[in-house]
Amino acid sequence: MTNTLHRQGKIESLKNDYVIFAHTARGINKEGSAPKLREFMRICLKYHPVNIGDVKQGNILQEDIDIEKLIQNQDDGAGATAVFTDLDTLQKVIEELVRADLGISINVSGLLDEVQQCCRKAGLERHSAEHSLGFWGATDRLPARHVLELNTLCGHGMVSFTLIQKLIGEVKLRRLTPKEAARIMGKCCECGAFNTARAEQLLEKLKSCY
Amino acid sequence: MEIDKKKCIGCGNCHAVCTMGVIYLDEDGKSIVNQDECVECSTCYRVLTSEGYPGWFANAVRKILSFFHLGYQGRVDVCPTGALTPPRLDWPRSIRATFSDPTTIHPSTGVQGRGTDEIKSNDVTGRLRQGEVGVVVEMGRPGTGAYFRDIEKVAMALAKLKPHFERENPVTQLMVDTETGKIREDILNEKVLSAIIEMKTRLERLPELLQALEKVSKEVDTVISVGVASRCLPDGSIPHEAWVKKAGYALSANGKTNLGLGRPLFKEA
Repeated sequence: MTNTLHRQGKIESLKNDYVIFAHTARGINKEGSAPKLREFMRICLKYHPVNIGDVKQGNILQEDIDIEKLIQNQDDGAGATAVFTDLDTLQKVIEELVRADLGISINVSGLLDEVQQCCRKAGLERHSAEHSLGFWGATDRLPARHVLELNTLCGHGMVSFTLIQKLIGEVKLRRLTPKEAARIMGKCCECGAFNTARAEQLLEKLKSCY
Repeated sequence: MEIDKKKCIGCGNCHAVCTMGVIYLDEDGKSIVNQDECVECSTCYRVLTSEGYPGWFANAVRKILSFFHLGYQGRVDVCPTGALTPPRLDWPRSIRATFSDPTTIHPSTGVQGRGTDEIKSNDVTGRLRQGEVGVVVEMGRPGTGAYFRDIEKVAMALAKLKPHFERENPVTQLMVDTETGKIREDILNEKVLSAIIEMKTRLERLPELLQALEKVSKEVDTVISVGVASRCLPDGSIPHEAWVKKAGYALSANGKTNLGLGRPLFKEA
């Protein structure tokens, strides 16, 4: 399942980054969860996520993925993921999920205080919360901050540092647009947690940096 | 991953996509994978669409364009000849794919990705209860990868403080003794993209655990992403926040929130 906990960036940038995902637990509510996961995806899709998918089948950024088929093929599994870029939309998605009462676990990765406000407006009090304490150990092996911001947009760290650096170069040379480069990065992320809109914004900023 | 040298034309697209940066150009002008460092994530194979051209054709096109001094900017997300070949993996090498390829289901937990549930299903499992704190130690992420010998080193250092290693976690399942954190011998030299050591302890023991983790983190040649989680209080406040601050560590502004919509909702006795 996704690990979206360690997404990097300034608060202003993180305000455009909310990942919502459904999760089930083996022996409790995983069995028979397929229709609920399908409904979760349909609700998310209604609000135009920038990315949506599941780790088993891939995400909508991949060339051979048809979203309707992806939803239809959901079986009793671990979950599904969608990415939104603003709090208002996230609020609407949460409210609709509360009304749908699917009975599967729903999690949101994003600014904790903002997500808490969303929960309260929807009549919920958050159940559990998790913080990142950052990167420890051999941090001298890590690349520049902006590369990390793009790398951590993938739930499993599948966008390599080298690819990010190469694509930044291609954008600076005007061989690729930020949108095209963000889409290529998003293809590497299987689960659908990669926020292409935020990646595009970051690349747009980097385009003019030398 | 393996590269079919009969097909490869050395375009280099797979070098950039490789999550570990371990594909390079060999002396013969074809790409080659450093098998010791490859974590079998299969990202190169999945992301680079095979264009299926015969090698001779792709080379001929390049030579013709070069002859006329014409530049050609090929797509960066393709393998022109479909040279990438996923090998059949036997034990213990197969453990690399299990941990590194997110499309693989961990047999021990039935969960894909890194195979952990953390707080994602805490509303129905009650894995973390009032007064407890969960600590997730993701070794090798971002982008560096980790050998199980380093994962064992960290697990053994933390085991001295007697945390409860999460049973439904793929790393715990590979421990021969959860009292010591020792991991089975035959996989210690295997490398993975990342692996998560997952444990819980009492809130008041968190500072001690984080200090031990900080100390051992300086003894391994990889990066560690650290996460801390707890069950919120009825007013929505997060119990571990005060303990993390007391221990002198900084909390991220962003994080993960379980909304509590799972059913049946776990009820503490």
